[in-house]
Amino acid sequence: MTDYFEVHRRDAAARIGELRLADPVTTPCLADDVVTDAGSLWNAEREVPEGDESRVTILPHRGFPRGTAAEVQESFAVEHPDVDYPSGAVVSPDTAANHGADVYVVSGAPGFVGHASSFRDAVIDVREAVPDDTALYLSGVATPSNVATLVSAGVDLVDGDRAVVRGTQGRYLTTEGEHDLADLDELPCACPACQQPLAEFDREDCVEHNVNALEAELARVRGRIRQGRLRDYVEGQARHEAWTTAAFREFDQQWGYVEERTPVERDSLLLAASEDTLRRVEIQRFAERVTARYTPRLDDYPLLLVPCSARKPYSDSQSHRQFQDAASYRGHVVSMTSPIGVVPTELELTYPAQHYDSVVTGRWTENELDFVTSVLERYLDRTDYPRIVAHVPDEGYREIVERATAGRDIPVTYTVEDHPTTDESLGELNAALQGEDQIWVQEREAATLRAVADYQFGEGAGDVLFAPDDFELQGRYPKLQALDGDGEQLAALVPQYGTLSLSLAGARKWAASDVPTKRVEIDSFVPRGNVLAPGVVEADDAIRPGDEVVVEGPAAFAVGRATVHGSAMADATRGVVVDVRHSEET
Amino acid sequence: MSKPSPEVYEQGRGMDAHNQVMRELRAEKGNKEYDPHEPTRVWLDEDNTPDGVYQSLTIILNTGGCRWARAGGCTMCGYVAESVEGGSVGHDALMDQIQACLDHEAEEADDESGLVKIYTSGSFLDEREVPAETRQAIADVFADRERIVVESLPDFVEAERVSDFTDVGLETDVAVGLETATDRVRHDCVNKYFDFADFEDAAREARSVGAGIKAYLLMKPPFLSESEAVADMKDSIARCAAVEGCHTVSMNPTNVQRYTMVDQLHFRGGYRPPWLWSVAEVLEDTADEDVIVVSDPVGNGSDRGPHNCGECDDLVYEAIKDFDLRQDPSVFDEVSCECEATHEVVLERETSYNLPLAE
Repeated sequence: MTDYFEVHRRDAAARIGELRLADPVTTPCLADDVVTDAGSLWNAEREVPEGDESRVTILPHRGFPRGTAAEVQESFAVEHPDVDYPSGAVVSPDTAANHGADVYVVSGAPGFVGHASSFRDAVIDVREAVPDDTALYLSGVATPSNVATLVSAGVDLVDGDRAVVRGTQGRYLTTEGEHDLADLDELPCACPACQQPLAEFDREDCVEHNVNALEAELARVRGRIRQGRLRDYVEGQARHEAWTTAAFREFDQQWGYVEERTPVERDSLLLAASEDTLRRVEIQRFAERVTARYTPRLDDYPLLLVPCSARKPYSDSQSHRQFQDAASYRGHVVSMTSPIGVVPTELELTYPAQHYDSVVTGRWTENELDFVTSVLERYLDRTDYPRIVAHVPDEGYREIVERATAGRDIPVTYTVEDHPTTDESLGELNAALQGEDQIWVQEREAATLRAVADYQFGEGAGDVLFAPDDFELQGRYPKLQALDGDGEQLAALVPQYGTLSLSLAGARKWAASDVPTKRVEIDSFVPRGNVLAPGVVEADDAIRPGDEVVVEGPAAFAVGRATVHGSAMADATRGVVVDVRHSEET
Repeated sequence: MSKPSPEVYEQGRGMDAHNQVMRELRAEKGNKEYDPHEPTRVWLDEDNTPDGVYQSLTIILNTGGCRWARAGGCTMCGYVAESVEGGSVGHDALMDQIQACLDHEAEEADDESGLVKIYTSGSFLDEREVPAETRQAIADVFADRERIVVESLPDFVEAERVSDFTDVGLETDVAVGLETATDRVRHDCVNKYFDFADFEDAAREARSVGAGIKAYLLMKPPFLSESEAVADMKDSIARCAAVEGCHTVSMNPTNVQRYTMVDQLHFRGGYRPPWLWSVAEVLEDTADEDVIVVSDPVGNGSDRGPHNCGECDDLVYEAIKDFDLRQDPSVFDEVSCECEATHEVVLERETSYNLPLAE
């Protein structure tokens, strides 16, 4: 039972949590004043400690420093007593298991922090062995420059030990690394300890500054988690140290661990400012869904490839308005962009297509070219356009189209002379589509609802949920609604996320269909507003944070949004796991 | 132990695990043949004894090595392979080794050493290592010296064996690798099988024929934090001082020897040898105990030996050596360094789960 820790917010693997002590504490934070160590079993037998509600008691432990052989760890395993106060269990990456504690202290962190792949293994091994809604504590390792990386991997508690030690050694810590006190020409900090002349700044002050800097960085990291933008920050900040850069890249290779925890929707900015953005789950997932889930419905028309715009959604941008004025809906607009790949117009609202911003210089790197080319290739593999009108500039875009269409039996017309929005280019675009049929607004909007359904629920979902013979469209883009043949609402498109919110009727249709339904099974009650963790009997492992879910139990049927991934739902003992939109007694 | 308990079972399992790991590590070293007619090592030094400071001749006899080490052995000890293949060295070969040591002494020193210390990386009093005949012959060789120290595990300390030396008029000490007075630490962290009670028995045996006991303690076995190691040494020294016949404690900071469990931990970032400040603190703190306490940090100043920040290591080492000879704790007032603050923080904050906290 994790009575004393609750996760309130998530940003991929990072979390904002609460240690529910007599005075509650928000995590991630320094654990120095929050924990009491009941002592090591290596040198003495220990009674089960008294414990109390004001602190987390680290139960008697045998730490296994890094390098401890597996046999030794096994033989010296510790029995963790069941206690009714906030408790922490010391585990190692090799032996971590659920001991009913609120906090898990990973022993040997000074041995693996600093080594990217070992750090990755240690965090994932422990995180996957203990319940999701327990706090992970790495002791003796946090610095202002590594703590964002630690937290982004899933660490909830750290301490000031390392910062203090470095201060006593005359090492001045900042978010961009550490400096020998003797090498500083000025104090690059405004914390209270640094409000004095450099000449008078001694190692005691350095200790104080280091802890201040660590506290400040933790506050910044908490803020970023609340915004859903920790990753953007880490991509920049972690670059000050080689191992932290390697660490977040190592996690990018852990698709299972990271993807499971990464939300399918956010309404915050995703800044694509480095090549590492290409490997983000959000980016890879979008490309994967566009090329594997999305069903082309407008490929009887010419494919009109256009460059992305800075303004989102694209159709609101001046350039795309100009394109559409010239094209008059005589082609299916698909935007090409780094880092997202290709965005069919139906999915222009869908996270992260509407939410990213990227650095535009007109110079594409080889990786960007490769990535967008491969997405376009896979996209073309699944579509059957009669022809392509490529209204794209030379810089990168044209090369991608040429590469992706090489060897394909499909005519390509390039319509940009110098710049896509010049009168000449727009004239070419108009001319290239001469004689083509116009896609009517009804058809476009119906395709949009179905495309979003495909993207969100799986291949073919759009045609099942919104079957042409049992479907009516209502509302004005982007506020579209799907009704069934009897006029009952099934779903509404949520403009800020570009996802569908199902009604009860829509949810029932989904649940009755062959489309894989993400279910949360609950006890016998009717959820109003939300489902709390204790009410969950079982949850689909395929559920991701932000996913639409069907909630079912002996007494109720409901639909809502998951706040957490499915495997954590089943684990959790506290907190909201589903925001319920509609429910009814059954 | 009269009846089985979970604790006994756990200790048995722990020992099995330690031994298995140590055997694997030792196997990595491979076999190296040593000449059974040459001692493993021999050197001259100065030593503090209850009778004052002596020139000392230290001999590491090659006896085929430690039986316990071949079963696995202690987590910090790399000496097992300094042995001959097959594990047994005969009387003549051992006497050749003694002669080589005498030759070394004659070459290097003007006078004969008053103190002779014989170690075997095992037990000199174990007759499977050193036959009774050889022991008696060695006693005769050194009969004209003042003092002799022979190393042994407590099991082999028997009055009639020790009396070979006391009978020829030698002030005799048996050196016992007690490592710590805390049975739990000796068993689980060091992987040594005997109990403190066995050490007390050995002291009684030695005393019965007028010999003394010199206890060897290990400062900072693996798995202990710096403060736990310091506390364990202070407590161990007090308990040794209370054992009649134990007049000297040699506290040895762990150094990282190849092909040991400590080496494996150190290599992976899970072990740091003790701070020289910790050694100094223990010596200073226990100066009032009724026992001579000395320490000879091996490999001091290096990453694999006891060390401080690198700036003050030599100075603190000198202070420790000075204390060894004079037993005057005020020598430690003479040394200071900024890294004492780091050491303080480590003592305060290091635990079994976050060690090592500082380089």
